[in-house]
Amino acid sequence: MSLSGLLLVLTVLAPAAMLLACLSHPARTRMIGLLWLAPLPGLLAALLVPEGTTVVWDLPQARLVLSLDRPGALLLGVSALLWSAAGAYAAGYIGPQRNRGSFAVRWLLTLLGNMGVYIAADLLGFYLYFAIVSLAAYGLVVFDNTGGARRAAAIYLALAILGEAFLVFGFVLAAQGITTDSLLIRDAAAALPASAWRDPAMIMLLAGFGLKAGLVPLHVWLPVAHPAAPMPASAVLSGALVKAGVIGLIRFLPADAALADWGAALAAIGLVTAFYAVAMGIVQDNPKTVLAYSTASQMGAVATVIGAGLRIATPDWAELAAFYAAHHALAKGAMFLAVGLVAACGAGWRRPVLLLTGLVALGLAGLPLSGGALAKLAVKAPLGSGAVATLTSLSAAGTALLMLHFTHLLWRAGPTARTAGPPPLLWVPWLVLATGAVAVPWALFGGIVGLVTDAVQPEALIAASLPILLGAALWAAQARARARLPHIPEGDLVVLGEAMARRAGTWAAAIERVEAHARRWPIAGLSLLTLVAALCVTLLAPR
Amino acid sequence: MSGVPPMGASAADQGGWLLVACLMLPVLAMLVAFATGGRWAEQVAQGFAPVGLALAAAVVVVVARAEAPLVYVVGAWQPPLGIALRADGFAAAMLFTTALVMCAVVLFTRHSLRTPAGATEARTPFTFWVLLPALWAALNAVFLGGDLFSLYVALELLTFAAAPLVALDGGRPALAAALRYLLFALLGSILYLLGAALLYGGYGTLDISLLATQVRTDLATSVAGALMLAGLAAKTGLFPLHLWLPPAYAAAPPYVAAMLAGLVGKASFFLVARLWFNALPGLFPRAAADLLGALGVAAIVVGGVVALRQRTLKRLIAYSSVGQIGYLFLLFPLATMQAPWFAMAWTGGLLQAISHAFAKSALFLGAGLIIETLGHGRLDRLRGFGRQLPVCAFAIGLSGLSLMGVPPSGGFAAKWMILRAAVASGQWWWAVAVLAGGLLAGAYILRILRPGMTFAPDGTADGTADGAMPRAGVARSREHIVLALALASFVIGLVPLGSFGFLQIGLPAVTVGAPR
Repeated sequence: MSLSGLLLVLTVLAPAAMLLACLSHPARTRMIGLLWLAPLPGLLAALLVPEGTTVVWDLPQARLVLSLDRPGALLLGVSALLWSAAGAYAAGYIGPQRNRGSFAVRWLLTLLGNMGVYIAADLLGFYLYFAIVSLAAYGLVVFDNTGGARRAAAIYLALAILGEAFLVFGFVLAAQGITTDSLLIRDAAAALPASAWRDPAMIMLLAGFGLKAGLVPLHVWLPVAHPAAPMPASAVLSGALVKAGVIGLIRFLPADAALADWGAALAAIGLVTAFYAVAMGIVQDNPKTVLAYSTASQMGAVATVIGAGLRIATPDWAELAAFYAAHHALAKGAMFLAVGLVAACGAGWRRPVLLLTGLVALGLAGLPLSGGALAKLAVKAPLGSGAVATLTSLSAAGTALLMLHFTHLLWRAGPTARTAGPPPLLWVPWLVLATGAVAVPWALFGGIVGLVTDAVQPEALIAASLPILLGAALWAAQARARARLPHIPEGDLVVLGEAMARRAGTWAAAIERVEAHARRWPIAGLSLLTLVAALCVTLLAPR
Repeated sequence: MSGVPPMGASAADQGGWLLVACLMLPVLAMLVAFATGGRWAEQVAQGFAPVGLALAAAVVVVVARAEAPLVYVVGAWQPPLGIALRADGFAAAMLFTTALVMCAVVLFTRHSLRTPAGATEARTPFTFWVLLPALWAALNAVFLGGDLFSLYVALELLTFAAAPLVALDGGRPALAAALRYLLFALLGSILYLLGAALLYGGYGTLDISLLATQVRTDLATSVAGALMLAGLAAKTGLFPLHLWLPPAYAAAPPYVAAMLAGLVGKASFFLVARLWFNALPGLFPRAAADLLGALGVAAIVVGGVVALRQRTLKRLIAYSSVGQIGYLFLLFPLATMQAPWFAMAWTGGLLQAISHAFAKSALFLGAGLIIETLGHGRLDRLRGFGRQLPVCAFAIGLSGLSLMGVPPSGGFAAKWMILRAAVASGQWWWAVAVLAGGLLAGAYILRILRPGMTFAPDGTADGTADGAMPRAGVARSREHIVLALALASFVIGLVPLGSFGFLQIGLPAVTVGAPR
């Protein structure tokens, strides 16, 4: 195996090895200090491994393939950076707690799945890592073990398992179209447009990956689960885990004329999500919930880019969408860490932290010269120039509104009594992510999108600042009308879901009564005779 | 003209005696245990366990090497006069599964179920250690029987060995459950015997290989097929013929329930498959397959939903079994013979049976440990058992993942193949049922695990029902046995099975090597 192949394998092997080490109790309690190391092989792989490197492992029943393409490398590198920074933050945030060993185990398991999702190239391997990351994240959400955390984790798990059911069905339908023995994602995607099972497969895949990415109406778990998790876990949940849905959409949807309608549908769903999440987020009072809704809205924007790119068949739409998602990962991670940081800051530190956080936040809306502006510039090509592009720019105004609201909530939290600065384990990772949110897009723009100088043209700067100004105006308007805004609970539609679940309880009781009846001797005996008669009828009927 | 294939003679020379040993040695062990009684019964039964495992492993190896069924003709009297013992791929795999689960149960109960010091004999240990080899012998006879009457004898052996084991704990509920099981199982046996009699009248032979060549679709054969199928379905506990299952599994001691749920249920399903594919191939039309499939779907839904509403651990696991039996019966509508997806459906169904055997026995043994430690099995007072029984909780989690069909477990491999077969054959509705079953399985496994992983706000675990501290802990080695069974259900998806050719050895008109 070449060095690149080794790096690729180490990406998943390193967290797995650390997990095995956690079997011993003393190692487990100390593992929290080493969490920042686990994603580093993934970061190195993303930086050093050439595109197209493939590692194949032939098992008796399956052929597991790891491979790295450019969108995958982008998301892998950025996620690894986020996981590493959040891991260092976790050492400072969770480190003093008694159950830090348990946290480390849940963290490493989720990390393992997340890293694997970006590099898995065959259907079964992808599903394996996807299942690992979805199920392990439950452990992170429920970690605080309060009533709210347990409810949030239950909602998360129910929807995660539903999403996995959609996905496995979608994978089976997609695999059906492959004419050879191969189970590579690449082959499934290539066979999809011409397959007889195309439409059911698309529905299932969009439902499964859309649920993971937080697209309406399957987004309801996001604003409930992300705030309930501890701070570093929220950062990776919002920053990295939802990107598993994005990478799925990118990998499974080939640019093909036959899928143009599906691209339009995806773009529509994305736009609806982008605006709906902003509307739901603006009425929230918990900064973490606002950030969660912002994640949903941004994933809607990414979905719009993917859908529009699919429809117009722009070359490289996958890479551009990944670029946009990459900036979001770093920015959102920095913002979540800032929430915890501000709470630990004394008066002297608050202002610079709030200022930088506010800049990163507005960068998400496309503040001129920020990383976000570059991201928005990058996706102009796939979005085209029609209604979709205009609506996406309007959604940037919505993001600006939401981000101003978030910064305001942070500022309103008030200074603490602390005079000393926050511990370095808390502010160093945050600073790394905040600068990364600006530096990484600037560094990669040239290689991925085009000329960096395009970003500093006056037209580009003006085009970027218009949504910000619109958003600021909206924010000023809502600040005055704040009291009259309706109160919408976290998760909006989830309360409908919970009501339906209670209704389902009566159905379950009915089924239980039927089953109890079936267990009575007269009924069971009758059933037996009926079965004999029914089988006789089927066997004797003319064929 | 006999039922022995050309390779039969050399195969019988090489390994035919293995089949005889698989039947006779456990019977011998049972007789010796019964005769010597007391502590000797324990030693004999425990001493037999590794022998039984070695025999089963040897059968698997011989069948895999020869790539043909292993046949032994008893007394060198060829059928239709004599009877044949036959081990094809499915039978060998089930033999080995039985041996593994039995060994696990023996190791699990070795120290906890002994004659107390100072007494020469006690009812419970004596009954258990005598009937365990009997149950093993009956299971082996079911898997190896080559003609329908031997299979009837084996079925009866199975019922009569299992029913007293259900009543092992004594007490009214256990006795009532055992009687209910016995009566309904006998009803099923009577139907089976009726059908066998009709077949004998029609064909003059009951040997499976001979019947397969002569089967006609006339009135007698059809009625016989219907009777036998219904009788076996009653013995398997397919909804709505499951009235005996929840009380029996809940009243039996956990180590007995592990054997019942894991093995005895699979034995009658094995016979349904034998009947459908080997003895009367082509007799059952599409409508009959869809009927069985529909009952399977009903079982999956009803079993899963009712499992969610249970309040005790063992009843929840019992209803989980009701649901999982439904999966097994989906084999029949999916495994259309001579279709390209047949290999996938067949392998998926069999993998489902085997991985479920391991997962369910691990669940019952784990539940047994929980009940021993906490003193009760109530689901609302299980908080914190994860701290006292961490390995057991982990094993229950693994078994649950296999039941849900989460990769990389054997349950997932089975589910993947069943789903692919369903889509390939255009019958996507079975796929929806399988997925719904997985969701329900996740829900009820979580009901067991969630309390185990949480602790009261002050950090203490919930204890016995009256709040006192839980009883002394169980030996860590017993937890490891549960873990080993759970891992087996995981590993079964990865074990090299010669690209699944092994499970297809001995099937008539099979198409090996269909795409995955």
